[in-house]
Amino acid sequence: MTMPTLASGQPDILQEMVFGKTPAASEAAAWSDGLFMMITWFSIFFFVLLMGLMVYFTIKYRRRPGVPAQPSPHHNTLLEIFWTVVPSSSMLVMFVLGFWGYSYKIVSPDNAMELRIQGMKWSWVATYPNGATSPETQALSKVVDTENNIVTQGKQYPIFYIPEDTDVKLSMMATDVIHSFWIPEFRTKMDVVPNRFTGYGFHTPKITPNDSYVHQETGEVMSGRDMWIFCAEYCGDDHSRMAATLRVVSREVYDQKMTEWGVQLSPIDAGEKIWKQVCASCHQIDGTKLVGPTWNSVANADGQFGYGYAAELTDGTTVMRDANYYRESILDPNAKIVKGFAPAMVSYQGILSDEDIDNVIAFIQSISDLDPNAGENTESTEESESQAEESAGSES
Amino acid sequence: MSTLDAHAHHDEGSYLSGPPGMMARIWQWATTVDHKKIGVMYLFAVLTMFFIGGMAAMAVRYDLLDPIRTQTVETLNAAGDLETTTITTGESLKEIMSGLGMGSNLTESQIYNRTFTLHGAVMVFMFIVPSIPASLGNFFLPIMLGAKDVAFPRLNLMSWYIYVFGCLFGIMSILLGGVDTGWTFYTPYSTSTDADHWRVVLMVMAAFILGFSSILTGLNFVVTVHKLRAPGMGWFDMPLMIWALYATSIIQVLATPVIGITLLLLVFERLMHIGIFDPAMGGDPVLYQHFFWFYSHPVVYVMILPAMGIISEILAVHSRKHIFGYRAIAFSSLGIAGVSFLVWGHHIFTAMGELAAILFSGLTFLVAIPTAIKVFNWIATLYKGSIVINTSMCYALMFLFTFSIGGLTGLPLATLATDLHLHDSYYVVAHFHYVMMGGTVIAFMGGIHHWWPKMFGKMFNEKGAMLGMALVFIGFNVTFFTQFFLGTQGMPRRYANYVDEFQTLHEISTYGSWILLAGFLVHLVVFVVSLLAGKKAPANPWGGLTLEWECESPPIEHNFHHEPIVKHGPYDFETVVPPHCDPKEFPLPENGGNH
Repeated sequence: MTMPTLASGQPDILQEMVFGKTPAASEAAAWSDGLFMMITWFSIFFFVLLMGLMVYFTIKYRRRPGVPAQPSPHHNTLLEIFWTVVPSSSMLVMFVLGFWGYSYKIVSPDNAMELRIQGMKWSWVATYPNGATSPETQALSKVVDTENNIVTQGKQYPIFYIPEDTDVKLSMMATDVIHSFWIPEFRTKMDVVPNRFTGYGFHTPKITPNDSYVHQETGEVMSGRDMWIFCAEYCGDDHSRMAATLRVVSREVYDQKMTEWGVQLSPIDAGEKIWKQVCASCHQIDGTKLVGPTWNSVANADGQFGYGYAAELTDGTTVMRDANYYRESILDPNAKIVKGFAPAMVSYQGILSDEDIDNVIAFIQSISDLDPNAGENTESTEESESQAEESAGSES
Repeated sequence: MSTLDAHAHHDEGSYLSGPPGMMARIWQWATTVDHKKIGVMYLFAVLTMFFIGGMAAMAVRYDLLDPIRTQTVETLNAAGDLETTTITTGESLKEIMSGLGMGSNLTESQIYNRTFTLHGAVMVFMFIVPSIPASLGNFFLPIMLGAKDVAFPRLNLMSWYIYVFGCLFGIMSILLGGVDTGWTFYTPYSTSTDADHWRVVLMVMAAFILGFSSILTGLNFVVTVHKLRAPGMGWFDMPLMIWALYATSIIQVLATPVIGITLLLLVFERLMHIGIFDPAMGGDPVLYQHFFWFYSHPVVYVMILPAMGIISEILAVHSRKHIFGYRAIAFSSLGIAGVSFLVWGHHIFTAMGELAAILFSGLTFLVAIPTAIKVFNWIATLYKGSIVINTSMCYALMFLFTFSIGGLTGLPLATLATDLHLHDSYYVVAHFHYVMMGGTVIAFMGGIHHWWPKMFGKMFNEKGAMLGMALVFIGFNVTFFTQFFLGTQGMPRRYANYVDEFQTLHEISTYGSWILLAGFLVHLVVFVVSLLAGKKAPANPWGGLTLEWECESPPIEHNFHHEPIVKHGPYDFETVVPPHCDPKEFPLPENGGNH
């Protein structure tokens, strides 16, 4: 579809104020910014006109003692028809342009790459066409103070890699409550609803020499473009922390990631990946108390957390944290509530497979200092890696 | 009416006078069927809820000034080992709350979510829906029609008790720990959160009960307008405030039952696990949103139409002009009421199919047209007037300013392409605060100042009130104008926390909220001083021509000494000397009334 041009190449000062440091990432997004600015200029014109008249009348016709108001007509049919028709026709134009821009944003070509998005309290998971999911995360705000050797970082968020200059189609579903997948730089969001697929498409931008991001682990400046993804539909406690990064990279980097992530992981690594994607918004592994208990800590006032340690429950009883305890807590979270916590977790029955749960428990075991498999880790990892190679070989 | 009756009526005291003794006075007020007393009781009740909702808003803004951020810090210690510690920065709403003995077992986000829900639910269900109709409407609708009371005075008292009962349910839910669903109660979140508690059910029931109060008031007003107009008052001789309240009442009677049904279904699902909205039980979560907005969009006009009525009255009286385009304003009230039932879908553009979205976008633009016409008419009314600058007039002019911004910023939300970006962002938050607060609350403030001398028989300190007005104007715009930019730059709503780039704008917004609070506190002081030591108000301080200015300030129990007979229109300032007024103060133009 050819679209009438609304966006000029160079955004004016007002447009920069309005959209700040989040330039439109696609032609459709830039087009909608142009439409927004057009409506804004229209609004400013009428607002200034009306307020100008109001202030002018208020000053010119201010009350003077003993001076009556001057009579004027109580209505004027021609004038009234005029100011009904002008806004009506302007709004017809806005409606039609809005409809065009909507199709421009929502519809994606048939051959677009499909990214499956799963929304859950309070994280996003993206599944690629080859079945892989992204294990990479980055901190909300990482500050490196090299002088004093201090690194500060907030919560970890997943990074979704997508190739540049490609049509992408999102196919989204929620597992618990309604979420909304908003990429501000594509100027589009759509609700993510349980038991229903929703979605939209966008064309990723080409990477320019100015586009760069700082790699979350190495600190290296790489070529690519990071964008925020936010949940825009209120979904509970950590709604404001349900974010992710969309990272547009070159086709080569993307292909390389796909090959890397397509390989099967060891149970512990797979468990860690699930933890980062699903569990980390409520369960930390460094002793921090979030909505849910930490999975590992040294003894403190709250007691000791982690695999192999006893847990005091709200009903006063004590239970051993073993594999069955963790399995029950994942499938029926409200059966046993640790003292000091609210029953806030939903069941992951049907969301995590049995294998996923085994992997998560393997990961929980591995980070505890009471890990029953301590010392066998290296061996088992090698084993599973060789298995993975075998299965990869058999598939191809 | 015999002379004897008329004489007896002359001895009546003001409606505010009562038997001696505190208990007797309280009993008199608690059992009154006088629409004026009920109006004053409503005014007190809704302003109390406005205070509670406002404090919740201040807490929300305080949290967003510098929200809690938990970070891990890695440092190299002297031995060269990596040490990991967790640090927390930011202003803590939690500290304030636990200082008040609340929410000690909740996280910062959980406290924030309960606070913004409290703000929304209290402001929508307990303040803004009943605000103007139930307080000023109750007081002035019968008087402006020349009636002694509303058509069903006992029903009127009942609606007040139902309102208080509903508010108690809501407050009980808050005291038990609060609700974190948002005032919209979207499923399946609302049917699954806090599964072991009754709080959500209590809050939903509060909204359900409050609905009945709203329906009864609406029903009462419709019948009163139809049956109790004074002799000589045809439909087009009614003040525009009455037209606005009439249109409002129709919406209240027709739309409120739908929210009642919806909320009941929600309670059934929560308590009896009947699958209506929850997909896990075979329901449809988006169906809830359709039901909910089928009420909650029309109710936006329950909030704004009475405000528009007040503005028509204030602008005409204080500029001494016949309202421009009386019929256009009257019909646009009805037009807005009608179209308001067809546009609910624009709240859920991102959750519906393409065809529905396109249809609702088109219908939404329709509702903008009568609104625009009203604004044009109001500004045209000022032309060649004799405009006095006082508090209520300033509030009316402020309404034109903020409401126009509110209306115009709605255009990109009705436009589908741009709405996909702005939906559920701070842009929407700013937009509806410009309409609800900049529209309804500002007009309510103007109306209270306009009718204060009539209601309580006391004048207020004009300079103090003007100071309050100026602070409210500045504070309001600083608070909410910044939020448009937050929204366009990507800040989602209902966030307890945000990424660093939004901090500056959030800080400005919070500072604005403090100015706004200062403005309202100044008004509170001015009102209390007026009640305690205000100068006695004349019967018609502003030179109004509608019937309330014919009775005394404050009015006698039966409003009028004689049944009024309407001989002139409500806005015939060019030909009629206002009652109880010195013609020198409000002179008539020579050659007036030739139109």
